[in-house]
Amino acid sequence: MSKKISIDPFTRIEGHLAVSLEVEGNRVKDAKCSGEMFRGFEQILKGRSPLDAQQITQRICGVCPVSQGIASVLAQEQAYGIQPTENGKLIRDIMLASNYIQSHVTHFYHLSALDFVDITGILNYSGKDKFLQGIKAWVQQEINSNSLFPAAPFLPRYEGRYIQDPEVNITALRNYFTALDIRALAHQLIAIFAGKMPHMATVVPGGLTEKVTNKKIAQCRSKLDQLKTFLQKEYTGDVLAVAGEFPELLSTGRGCNNYLTFDVFNDSINGGAPLFAEGVLIDGESQKLDLNLITEEVKYSKYTSDSGFSKTTPEPNKHGAYSWIKAPRYNGHPMEVGPLARIMVGYTNGNKQVQAVTDTFLNKTGLDLHNLDSCLGRHVARILELQILVEHCERWIDMLDPRQPSAIDFHITSSAEGIGLTEAPRGALGHWMEIRNSKISTYECIVPTTWNCSPKDDNGVPGPVEQSLIGTSVADAKNPLEAARIVRAFDPCLACAVH
Amino acid sequence: MTTKFTRRQFIELSSKMTVLMGLSTNAIPDIAQALENLATGRVKVLWLQAQSCSGCSISLLDSEHPNPAELLTQYMSLLFHHTISAASGDRCMDIVEKTSKAGGHILVVEGSIPAGMPEACMMGHKPMTELVSEAAKTASHVIAIGTCAAFGGIPGAEGNPTGAISVATFLKQQKISTTVINIPGCPTHPDWFVGSLTYLAKYGLPPLDKHSRPLMFFKRTIHENCPRFYDYERENFAKSFSEEGCLFKIGCLGVITYADCTIRDRNGGTNNCIKAGAPCVGCSSEIFALKKSFLFYRKNESKYLGE
Repeated sequence: MSKKISIDPFTRIEGHLAVSLEVEGNRVKDAKCSGEMFRGFEQILKGRSPLDAQQITQRICGVCPVSQGIASVLAQEQAYGIQPTENGKLIRDIMLASNYIQSHVTHFYHLSALDFVDITGILNYSGKDKFLQGIKAWVQQEINSNSLFPAAPFLPRYEGRYIQDPEVNITALRNYFTALDIRALAHQLIAIFAGKMPHMATVVPGGLTEKVTNKKIAQCRSKLDQLKTFLQKEYTGDVLAVAGEFPELLSTGRGCNNYLTFDVFNDSINGGAPLFAEGVLIDGESQKLDLNLITEEVKYSKYTSDSGFSKTTPEPNKHGAYSWIKAPRYNGHPMEVGPLARIMVGYTNGNKQVQAVTDTFLNKTGLDLHNLDSCLGRHVARILELQILVEHCERWIDMLDPRQPSAIDFHITSSAEGIGLTEAPRGALGHWMEIRNSKISTYECIVPTTWNCSPKDDNGVPGPVEQSLIGTSVADAKNPLEAARIVRAFDPCLACAVH
Repeated sequence: MTTKFTRRQFIELSSKMTVLMGLSTNAIPDIAQALENLATGRVKVLWLQAQSCSGCSISLLDSEHPNPAELLTQYMSLLFHHTISAASGDRCMDIVEKTSKAGGHILVVEGSIPAGMPEACMMGHKPMTELVSEAAKTASHVIAIGTCAAFGGIPGAEGNPTGAISVATFLKQQKISTTVINIPGCPTHPDWFVGSLTYLAKYGLPPLDKHSRPLMFFKRTIHENCPRFYDYERENFAKSFSEEGCLFKIGCLGVITYADCTIRDRNGGTNNCIKAGAPCVGCSSEIFALKKSFLFYRKNESKYLGE
C-alpha cells in the first residue's frame, strides 16, 4: 500500500516548488516536481523594443540575473550583426564567474547546509569565538523563550541525522555566517562593472556602459583574492567534511545520466576557445549538439498550446497537468544541466582542465567518476569548477585594458533573429528572439531548471530531478530529509524555470 | 557579535543607521531604542513571496550595516522566509497560519499578486492571494518590498497573462485596511528596508509620499542628485552607450524617478547605475516597465527627442 508525501512549499531554493512522492514501504515509487508560480515573461516581452529584453529578462531571476542578461545581449548581438569589444567580453566573463561564486556559495551554505548542520549543536559550544558564543546565547535565549517559533528561521526543521562530529558541525555553522559576507563580496565584485547587483545596469549589446580603469582593475583583484581564500580554505573543506559524514550521499540521487551544456567563458590560456564547451552526453555517449533537436513538451504542464517550440498559452486548470514548468527534451531525452553536466561533458570530451581537477579529487578521495552522479557529487562538481574559474578570472582581470573602449555603437535591425546561449551557474541557458518591425515578435527562454525540474514529458518519462528521487528511500514520511537533500543538490531556481 | 547588544554597541550601530536613514544625529538615542526593541524580539516579521524573482531577498542579504547575521539573530524574528527558513512543507504552513491567527506581525510581501489568475502563485496547496489576505488582515503593517509588490512591476506589465497587481491595490480590492508601506526598487536597496523597519519599530509609520514610499529615501529624484548634473546643465549629452555626458537622450529616467541611489550607492558603496554609465531605467518608479511603448532606452529613437 503506497502513501503520499508532500513537500510543499519546498523551501531554501529560489522560488515556488512543490515535490510530491509516492512511497511504498520506504521506497519512492513516483515523484512529481511542480513549479507553482507563473508570470508570463514571453508574453510580456512581445511587442517591446528588443533593447528592453536584457533588462526584463534579468528580472526573471534575482539569483542569476547576470546569465539572463548575457544570454539576451548575445541573442541581440547576433540579430544586429555585431561583436562586443574585447573589454566587454572579458568583463562579462568576470561578472559571470563572480556570479557563479555568489550562487554556489549561497547554494551550499544558505540553501543546503541546514540539511546537514545541526544548529542546536551550538548549545554545547565551549570555545572562545565571540561570534559563536553570541549565537549560542541567542539560540539558548530563543529556546527558553515562550516564542511560538523560537530560533526562527533556523527552527523548526525536519528531524533526522545531522552532522555528528561537533567540530565539523561548528566549523560549518561558523561558515554559514562568514559565507553571508562572502556572497555579498562576490556581488560587490560584479557591481564594480555592473553598477549594481542583483540586476546589472550596464550590460548592453556591443559591450558595457562602464569603463575600465586601473582603480577598477585593482578593486577586482582585491575582492577576488578574498573570495579565493574562502573558496580554497573553507568551502572545499566543508563540502568534503559533509561527504565524510554522509558517505551514502555519494551513491544516492543518481540522475537521468544524460547531460547537456552550452559554450561558456573564454579560455584565457587558449584564446578564443570556450572554457567549458557545448556538448551532449546520452547515457555516457558523446554527441554533437544540434539545437534543432530541442523541443518543449507540455502534456503535464499547465499550457494548452501544443508541444514543440515557441508558444505559451496558460491554462491553470488543464486536466492532468501538475506543473507550470514545461518539459524540454533533447531528441526526446530528459537532460541534466548544471555544474555536474559541465564536469561530465568536459571530462568525457577531453577538457584537460576539467580532467585535471576531477582526477586530483578522485585520486585524493578514492572515489570513481560515477560517484559524482549523486546528491553530494553535485556539490563536489561546484567546488571543482570554481577551482578552474577562479584561476581564469584572475587572468581575465589582468587582460583588461583601460585604453580600450568597453562598448561599440550599433543599430537595431528592424527584422532579424538571434540566439543567445550561455551557461548560468545552474546550467544551460538559451534565449531565442525574433524581431519584426523593430519590435520583439517572439522571445523564448529555456532555462536550466526548466530542464532539471521538468515534469513528465509527452511519453510519460519523468524529468531529471524526478528520476533522481525514484528508487531512493525515505525512512520517516514525516521528515523526508533524504528527498530534500537530493532535490536541493540540483539548486532549483523556480522563477527561472517557469518565468 | 554578542548575545545582547550593550548600550554602547547599540549607539554605535544606531549612528551608522542614522546616517543610512539621512536623519539628524539627534535621533541617535531614539534609533538605539528602536534597535533594542527589534533585538528583544518585539518585531515579528512574516515574509511571503508572491510573483517575485527573489531579487529583493538577495539584495537584503547584501546588507552591510547591519549585516545579515545581525539582522537574522538580533534585529527581527524572521518567522518565515521562503529562501532562508530551515522548515519545509507542512511546518511552513503551520508557521504562516499560526502567525496570521496571532496577529501583530509585520507582513512583508515580495512580488506582485496574480489577482486575475490566483493559481499562478501557490504555496502549500493554497493560492498566495488567500495567504496574503489572511496574513495582512491581522498584521500591524504591510511592507510591499520591491517594485513588483509596490506597483506591479514587470509581472504586472502590459500584456501579462496573470492579472498581476500591486499589494496595495489587491488589499484595497479585498477591503483590507492595514496600512501598506511601499519600498520599491528592482531590487530594493537593503538600507531602504532596514531603515523603514527600524523607524516603524520606534516611531510607527514613517512619513510617506503619495505613493506610500518613505520620504526619507524617496524624497528627491535621481536627477536632483545626479553625478552628471553638470553635463545636463551644459547640454553635454551622451549619444551612445559608454559616452561621457548626461544620459537623458539615450533614455535616462532619472528626471521622473524618486530614489537616492546616486548618493547612497549600491552593494556597500561599490557603484551605482548612472555612475557606471547606465541610463536610469526607473526601476523604483511607479511606472516601471508597465507600458510596452515606454522604452527602457532611446537608441535609434532620437527623432522623438527633437534631433
